[in-house]
Amino acid sequence: MRETIITSETVANPKTHYGDAKASTRHFMTQRVTGLINVVFLGFLLFIVVRLAGQDRADMVAVIGNAFVGIPLALLIAIAAIHMRNGMRDTLEDYLHGRVYSLAMLLNTLFCLLVALAGAGAVLKIVFWG
Amino acid sequence: MSVRARPTSPHLQIYRWTITMAMSILHRMTGIANYAGMALLAIWLLAAAIGQEQLMMVNYVYGSWFGQIVLFGFTWSLVHHMCGGLRHWVWDFAVMMEPGQREAMAWGTLVASVIITLLIWTVFVWVA
Repeated sequence: MRETIITSETVANPKTHYGDAKASTRHFMTQRVTGLINVVFLGFLLFIVVRLAGQDRADMVAVIGNAFVGIPLALLIAIAAIHMRNGMRDTLEDYLHGRVYSLAMLLNTLFCLLVALAGAGAVLKIVFWG
Repeated sequence: MSVRARPTSPHLQIYRWTITMAMSILHRMTGIANYAGMALLAIWLLAAAIGQEQLMMVNYVYGSWFGQIVLFGFTWSLVHHMCGGLRHWVWDFAVMMEPGQREAMAWGTLVASVIITLLIWTVFVWVA
């Protein structure tokens, strides 16, 4: 969807648009909402890391294995992954276009999915199976 | 509806450096660093889920001097990105945008991120 030449008529025409009106608004709002939730995530992460850094597996299972800790943690990791994907999308949109952009966006989605599945999956494994 | 290409900005070198510009760039850089850094959290949790031996291996790497430097940087990166995000959130209400105010907000994020990071490491790592 990229034109190479933008004429002054295109710029002057109020009916032309930059990007996708609906998807862009959704990305903007998603980024704000997930960003605010990430403030909570950072506080929670601080508690987890301070409590468990360098500790044995038994200690980690004792703390994260508590469903009231583990399930919110898994949820917050998944929400952070959404924020990561949207933020990286903003960056990629600025520097890449066309098929290179699509490929980079695919890799971006795969990385965020991997982090979410590995992170949240590991936490849920500890919660349900110890 | 016709779609026209997104606007591109002139190259960075032609601008005089301003604190708001520096913080905008830092916000993106810390965002990318956090993006990569989240893998460190996933690896730690994954190792804990797999077994004691794997967890000890990760703890050894993260506890080494190099690991600690990376984690200190990651802490600052996360805190700075949070402060920057909150600054943008304030700006989303179209306040604090006047000359002087926006520069104060930008300096505020930098100062706050450094103080909060040092506070976290002092209280929970160096003194504890």
